[in-house]
Amino acid sequence: MISADVLAAIDELQIRYISALDRRDFDAWLACFDSQGSYICTPRENEEQGLPLALMMDDCYERLKDRVSFITQVWAGTFEDYWTRHFIQRLACTPGNSNSYSVITNFGVLYTSARGRSEILVAGCYADEVIVSPAGAKFRSKKAVLDTSTTPRYLVYPV
Amino acid sequence: MVSQPVAFRWPASPTELPKAAFHREDVFRLEIERIFLGPEWHPLAHLAELPKRGDFKTFRLGDAPVLVIHGDDDRVRVFFNSCTHRGTQLQTRSRGHAGEFECPYHRWLFNNRGELLAAPGSDRFPAAFRKDDYHLRELRTAEFHGLIFATCSAAAPALATYLGETAPLFEQVLGDGRLSLLGYQKVTFSSNWKEYNDNEGYHAPLLHRAFRMLHWQAGKGIQCATEYGHVGLQAQLQSAANSDFLNDRSLVEFRGANGAAAPKSIIIALFPLVSVIKHLDVINVRFVIPHSVDETEVHYAYFCHQDDDPAMIRHRLRQSSNLLGPSGFISLEDGAVFNRIHQGSLTPGRVQYQKGVAAMAPPPCIVDQNDESANPIRWEHYRKIMGFERDQR
Repeated sequence: MISADVLAAIDELQIRYISALDRRDFDAWLACFDSQGSYICTPRENEEQGLPLALMMDDCYERLKDRVSFITQVWAGTFEDYWTRHFIQRLACTPGNSNSYSVITNFGVLYTSARGRSEILVAGCYADEVIVSPAGAKFRSKKAVLDTSTTPRYLVYPV
Repeated sequence: MVSQPVAFRWPASPTELPKAAFHREDVFRLEIERIFLGPEWHPLAHLAELPKRGDFKTFRLGDAPVLVIHGDDDRVRVFFNSCTHRGTQLQTRSRGHAGEFECPYHRWLFNNRGELLAAPGSDRFPAAFRKDDYHLRELRTAEFHGLIFATCSAAAPALATYLGETAPLFEQVLGDGRLSLLGYQKVTFSSNWKEYNDNEGYHAPLLHRAFRMLHWQAGKGIQCATEYGHVGLQAQLQSAANSDFLNDRSLVEFRGANGAAAPKSIIIALFPLVSVIKHLDVINVRFVIPHSVDETEVHYAYFCHQDDDPAMIRHRLRQSSNLLGPSGFISLEDGAVFNRIHQGSLTPGRVQYQKGVAAMAPPPCIVDQNDESANPIRWEHYRKIMGFERDQR
């Protein structure tokens, strides 16, 4: 049995995460991960075919930091911007070793282009490992598996 | 196939083209017929995507669904993905493995060599019905370094002739062709396919800010422009002087393998659409579907070599995922430009190429690596296929 406090901490982390993305606050996004954190965004098609390639493979904390500089320094001003709204639903939470939890969460992301049209960007499922400590919850690893095998536009921001 | 010619006057200058070429529906329909279903060769798969007998991949040639099958006789064939009875799409999965292909509608059954095995109720078919006449419609194919090319036309020249001066570059990207698939990145651009394939060497150091941030200068390089509209670019890659910009420098690290002595950038931009690319240790083929005048879908397929050790596979995987794709460190901005050209080209007037055009020569020819003078050569090939007349000077 997982305590209500642990579940609340995990849900608060997920909400902090999608809120950071929707506000495009990438320091806040980075702060959702612990110092061994990693982020992978990959299409389900690759997963199901046993193909290890991802759309974003930030498999160490150094790459998470680099992702923030790509968005805020390298690409800034070149891409057509878009606004996202993430919607999530926790499906499962299983305790792992000590203070670690494996969490499965559905997501759907709407996006609105500069032209003002809102459409579906991606749909999928997060498979996360969350570390819960007295200071709060952080992602040890976050994996966004996209049902959307062909995205309707190029992804600038993590999902 | 014979269709009505499309009336579309082109400017007298070979370095200009009408922006309407990116938007006219009648032009797009003629492109499907004359280019995609015409006498051009189109790479549709690499053997690494269907390595075993019975493996298949579905894709599109222009807008026509095709089925690439590795037959149980070890031959790779390309078919129209359409039942020979009523035209039902035979296979809908993007990749898989099958001994037989059954159409769900009336259960016509084909083997993985494309032969019709059974058609239920055939005792009530006309007496003249022969199963041999209803095998899947097979396209002419040729293989080069593991890439499977197909054409709908008997009039396409031999593949080696068609590839011309780009042919020797394939070895530098695909080696002996014994590759393994790492996976796909798939994206749709809101642009015309000709805007997608109109990239050149001029923009690279200007659009892609990563090169400046890393103080990453390209070394010596050239482009070759060929008779059939292909462009092959090869450039030495020096190491990034400011790789400290990255916390994880492995993203721009060259490890080399399989005889690759020095880091290079090689881009074989084939006419009409597919490109075959090596950058540092990334091996990438970009397969493309022109869905409509304003929608182009690109499948970035990445590979490692069968002789790579686990550390090299892991390196290629990590570099391929983050460097050169639709969300890649040094490539993301391309997508923005494709979409913006497509909007901007709704304005009246012409596109004019400038950089290096004073030195333009008839193909095959060599073009400076950061010029855009190979593009008008490809456009001229396109214009001739399409039968568009130029204005008199």
